Amino acid sequence: MFQVILFTQWKWSRAALVFPAVLVFALPILTVRGFGDATMDPLTVISTAQSWGPSYPIMAIVLGIIMAVATWSSDRNGKHTYALSLPLPRWHYVLLRFGAGALLLAGPALLLWIGALVATSSASLPPGLRVYPTALALRFTLATLIMYAVSFALAAGSSRVVRTILLTLGFVVLAQILLSLLGSEFDLIGPLGNWLFDWPGPLEILSGRWMLIDV
Amino acid sequence: MSHAIETTGLLYQAGKNFELRDLSLQVPEGSIYGFLGPNGSGKTTSIRLCLGLLQPKAGRITVLGHEIPRESPRALGRIGYVPERPHLYQSLTVDESLRYHSAFYPTWEGKFADELVGRFGLDRSRGLSRLSKGEMGKLMILLALAQRPDLLVLDEPTDGLDPVVRREVLSALLDYVSERSATVFISSHLIHELERICDWVGVMDRGRLVAELPMQSFKNGIKRLRVTKAPSLLGDTPFVLLAREYLEGAAETWVVRGWQAPMAQYFDGVGADLREIVDLDLEEGFVELLRTARQAT
Repeated sequence: MFQVILFTQWKWSRAALVFPAVLVFALPILTVRGFGDATMDPLTVISTAQSWGPSYPIMAIVLGIIMAVATWSSDRNGKHTYALSLPLPRWHYVLLRFGAGALLLAGPALLLWIGALVATSSASLPPGLRVYPTALALRFTLATLIMYAVSFALAAGSSRVVRTILLTLGFVVLAQILLSLLGSEFDLIGPLGNWLFDWPGPLEILSGRWMLIDV
Repeated sequence: MSHAIETTGLLYQAGKNFELRDLSLQVPEGSIYGFLGPNGSGKTTSIRLCLGLLQPKAGRITVLGHEIPRESPRALGRIGYVPERPHLYQSLTVDESLRYHSAFYPTWEGKFADELVGRFGLDRSRGLSRLSKGEMGKLMILLALAQRPDLLVLDEPTDGLDPVVRREVLSALLDYVSERSATVFISSHLIHELERICDWVGVMDRGRLVAELPMQSFKNGIKRLRVTKAPSLLGDTPFVLLAREYLEGAAETWVVRGWQAPMAQYFDGVGADLREIVDLDLEEGFVELLRTARQAT
């Protein structure tokens, strides 16, 4: 059963996944491009590596969303009739779909790890600096899975649920703009961002420094 | 008599405009049950409730002895379902669809599926998005039959199909039913098609079940009578008077249900003359039944 679910998910998502997967593989290699001289200033190396840092969470977000949308799009097109008429409990079907998506996301994560290993093994770094290919790949895997889980829950919901969430977010942004125009210092978005991205927020893993090379 | 589908006092509301009220269906095991009704009468909603795809507000549903929706996964394992609109994944090929579907049904019979693929002339390598309406209809019936169900629930399975394809599909269905003694619950607009194959009929209108009876009684019992000199107040009649239409002079047309030949004596008793008895076909009977039901509400 899992095999056929995995197959359908692969078929639905493969075209959309190819480019981000290649990009994810290339990111570490692009990061260490030009690090062929061990006499380079360590601060320059760190600042270059840091400038590439935001690319990793962005790719994790992109991959998570792509997989979640691909997971549910065919069922949504058929108003979930096929899925609901299959002889298995709903939670079981959802679990199978989630599991298949998570397994497929292991591919890009693995590519990132391989890319990071290749990049770090070919780079000559100044003394005192260390490489973190495995830690970066693990963090990327976890971030991708979290983004996938969040998007999966949203994409599985009805259009009404998605509309309500988007409208609420739109309302918050609009209210913030109006408050700013009225000269108020009341901050709506800041606390929301803190709640989401600061520990123990659900998206905390996306924030902070994503470093392939550090001290 | 045991029932493959039994609902009691079902209540379901969809928005402000549609309500399914007090639906009590009884589909006898081994029967071919035709589910009739105009568009928007609640046929598809009733089917979706019976499969556990929708949750009723009140009432009880039992399908093949399983309580719905609590035990719907177990019931669905024994049901072949063909919905009103194609529900299969358009991005798969015929072969991939067969493999996908078969993975969920332990009773799936690959050999029978292969036989049906040949019989229906389906190309295994063709994508579902490139199938014609007729081919899609055949594939959906194929999937439902090859899982060897005890109950087939078909929601307008031949709607929009050409007569050749319709005949092929119905013939495969009847072959299966005669071989397996399965129950078939089929909704359709095509009344004459149901007349040929069904032995029970249920009629829905505006969210209510207005009649449920053996097809034979439905076909034979509805007559149009030409009557003259009938009194305006009738009292008790031995048949059900569905409609009474006044013509020129003292002539009238009556549409009655439950008619039997000895009932002609009734007219002598009330001083009226029965001039003519006309058999109504199923479609006319269906229309008269709906007209009466609407007048009663």
